[in-house]
Amino acid sequence: MLGYILRRILTMIPTLVVISMLVFVIIQLPPGDYLESHIAELQSHGESVDEQKIQFLREQYGLDKPLVHQYWYWVTGMLQADFGYSFEYELPVSEVVGDRLFLTVIISIATILFTWIIAFPIGIYSATHQYSWGDYGLSTLGFLGLATPNFLLALVMLYFANVYFGTSIGGLMDSEYIDAPWSIDKMISILEHLWIPVIVIGTSGTAGMIRRLRANLLDELQKQYVVTGRAKGLPPGKLLVKYPLRVALNFFVADIGTLLPTVISGAEIVAVVMSLPTTGPILLSALQSQDMYLAGSFLMFLALLTVFGVLVSDIALALLDPRIRLGGGASK
Amino acid sequence: MKTLLNGIFLILPLISATSAQAMDWLKETPSLVELVEAGKLPSIDDRIPDDVQVAQLRLDQAPGEHGGQLRLLMGKQKDIRQIVIYGYARLVGYTPELELKADILKRVEVFENRVFTLHLRKGHKWSDGHPFTSEDFRYYWEDVANNPELSKGGPNKLLIVDGELPEVEFPDKHTVRYSWSNPNPYFMPALAGARPLYIYKPAHYLRQFHARYQSEEAIARQIEEFAKRNWMGVHVNYDRPYKATNPDLPTLQPWVNTTYPPSERFIFKRNPYYHRVDPNGRQLPYIDSIAINIASSKLVPAKTGADESDLQARYLRMDNYTFLKSASKRNNYDVRLWQAAKGAHIALYPNLNTNDKVYRELMRDLRFRRALSHAIHRHEINQVVYFGLVQESNNTVLEEGPLYRPEYQNNWIEYDLKHANQLLDELGLAERDDRGVRLLPDGRSLEILIQTAGESTEQTDVLELIHDSWLQAGIKLYSIPSTREVFRNRIFSGDAMMSIWSGIENAIPTAENSPGELAPTSKYQYQWPQWGLYYESSGKSGEAPELTAAQELVHLNDQWARASTHEQRELIWHQILEIHRDQMFTIGIVNHVPHPVVVSNYLHNVPEKGFYDISPGAYFGIYKPDTFWFDEARR
Repeated sequence: MLGYILRRILTMIPTLVVISMLVFVIIQLPPGDYLESHIAELQSHGESVDEQKIQFLREQYGLDKPLVHQYWYWVTGMLQADFGYSFEYELPVSEVVGDRLFLTVIISIATILFTWIIAFPIGIYSATHQYSWGDYGLSTLGFLGLATPNFLLALVMLYFANVYFGTSIGGLMDSEYIDAPWSIDKMISILEHLWIPVIVIGTSGTAGMIRRLRANLLDELQKQYVVTGRAKGLPPGKLLVKYPLRVALNFFVADIGTLLPTVISGAEIVAVVMSLPTTGPILLSALQSQDMYLAGSFLMFLALLTVFGVLVSDIALALLDPRIRLGGGASK
Repeated sequence: MKTLLNGIFLILPLISATSAQAMDWLKETPSLVELVEAGKLPSIDDRIPDDVQVAQLRLDQAPGEHGGQLRLLMGKQKDIRQIVIYGYARLVGYTPELELKADILKRVEVFENRVFTLHLRKGHKWSDGHPFTSEDFRYYWEDVANNPELSKGGPNKLLIVDGELPEVEFPDKHTVRYSWSNPNPYFMPALAGARPLYIYKPAHYLRQFHARYQSEEAIARQIEEFAKRNWMGVHVNYDRPYKATNPDLPTLQPWVNTTYPPSERFIFKRNPYYHRVDPNGRQLPYIDSIAINIASSKLVPAKTGADESDLQARYLRMDNYTFLKSASKRNNYDVRLWQAAKGAHIALYPNLNTNDKVYRELMRDLRFRRALSHAIHRHEINQVVYFGLVQESNNTVLEEGPLYRPEYQNNWIEYDLKHANQLLDELGLAERDDRGVRLLPDGRSLEILIQTAGESTEQTDVLELIHDSWLQAGIKLYSIPSTREVFRNRIFSGDAMMSIWSGIENAIPTAENSPGELAPTSKYQYQWPQWGLYYESSGKSGEAPELTAAQELVHLNDQWARASTHEQRELIWHQILEIHRDQMFTIGIVNHVPHPVVVSNYLHNVPEKGFYDISPGAYFGIYKPDTFWFDEARR
């Protein structure tokens, strides 16, 4: 087991190196650099541009250096926990992202909990009552959630929340609480705003989870040991929970790998539409304005979490389900 | 000699000084009383300059009361610089009538447009209470502009006339003199710009970051601490008066930032040392603080409609008007229609430097450009896209400006397919393919690709209408959307044949404003990027203008800079506008597009009508937002 983990961690290194190169090259692919998009933006608002200042900044930011040099500077910096400098914010990347990370995690965890709380009972119900009215009804509801575009739902809900509850549009709290110290009122204000993004982001995830849980559980419920158990008169609750449900949850553990990065990144599009103070909008605007160290470091962080999350879910799967063997071919 | 002096010695009007008046007419600001009584802040007569500026209110304005918080919405953290634009405290500034007047300065003496003597107000202080003197100007000139490390290319090029640097003197604590041997007409407008040329810096604050004033160890420690490459990086980082990102940087603006970025909400507080008072002895600004909430720019109209802003125009567009107006019944605000000061809301830019030789020759042919213009049905565009609310016009000066003449606006803009077809036939494009599209001399079809920056559907809507009318003249139009950077690069490189963008920025110029925007002087001019680059780089790169009319524009622009009287400058302006009328280097479609401005019903002194544009108006700046006030009693 230990050897396996060690080997996995070692293979992570080349993976991450390749990812870092890809990320850097792709960010640099669009023509121009941050300063050019900065000039373009200033001029589109009719503001004057001081060429000398631009030249000065280009040197300060190291944008006049060759690509390889910039890459090396960035990667070696990251190894020392220096994630580079955000041109757009004129601050170190860690300061830009740091503030928003906490709120992003709150939203993501709330959304995940929301998804589970809704999806679990429905999934189990529709598997145990296959082809009943309840199954059809709830599945339809789930599909509706999956099919409605998130951003549309977000806008509709924002409008109604504003008109009927007087909630301020967008954001995660009333403006007077931004940057204010934590207090009961601030928490209430956040809760007032939190439910919209949670429902909007949660709906599509819920539908997906219902379907997967239902399918996995159905597979399991057809198995002979369940039939035998039922024939021997086991109570239905125990019959469901003791084995079939646990086995059906494998996909759930496997999901951890993808769950970790989403906790940090939040749902980008919805966050942009609803103007949430999460990391999603930062990443998007950084990519648009070619704020390369901000975008690059953030993407690297997501990649690291993904790689790590996959490892964790693999190990967890092996621990939970004795049928799964580590290192497949070797044990044959 | 005496008459000569009379003719050329111009003293800018100064707003009456009050040193003669007794100081007891001044009233302490309520929100500062506590601080003053606690001894943390000097009392009002020690805070304002000895010769304080008394704000002259316009006829539609009334003196107000202190207090309140102005809520604004911005789309990005970087947008907090708008407060520096709105605040519009400049050494000299424009009035709503577009005259230049001394503002921070007590007065300016101008001699032959080449010697400028700036007189500071005695006792004027920075927002931290430190005196504002000629030392701050010296610091800029000697330690910033002429520091070879901090300003590698030397001082800003607006300060250089024919390669000559000014002689800068500091006769006493309150006087600064810039003198050139030839006129520099760019100097004063640069000081008055929405993004001004800062020729003063808070020396007492910035010295701590300057290598000349600090020991090597201290500088090395700062570089280390702020993770910069060198001391210049540290200095520039803390010296950003326009961006307002450093709350510690002393300023002369009416409101001072108090929030360190990054944040989603920025609070600007009143500058207790501001240099203007109202006629009743109240120190301006009236409004105690400004709160800026950062929201996604697409949500700004919706949030404004939900009464989350007291004064909003940024990120609102004409098509939000109906929504805002209907929501104003539920909420307490008024929607006003101001006007953009652009020469054209939408204009086509034929690229005279395009790579394709055949098209380049066509674009450069005056008859072709006129035919294109005649084949655009501007009236239809006005009715369909703009509800008939805008003016069909060339890309030229507006009638509200002093240089307007009707022929500049109306020439060649009527919808006249017959004439267009006739002009195109004359050009040797009479042959057509089976779609009815004309054939070029080399056998290709006449297909014009128009680049758009892909930012608004409005542009593509207009292009769709132009497409239909052009097709009747035998021209096929394709629009190619891209992103702003790609769009510009295609134009610079000559890949773009034609592009669509807005027209001239300042379309209400006076003869004292530079006509540079109308001559090939910058590579950012989409009709002749290479010619502009040639001028900008003094002939080192780009191409020399090949059309005589364009050469003439360059020549006139240079003449304008050398002209010594107002009449000469006005004459040159009209010559330039006449060339544009005749040559149609850009094809304007419509202008006078209204811009919605949302104003809270409790906010007073905001004009009913105005120009909403950065140049020359600094958005709200020339209407002096420090005189806007809240009726707190009604709220």
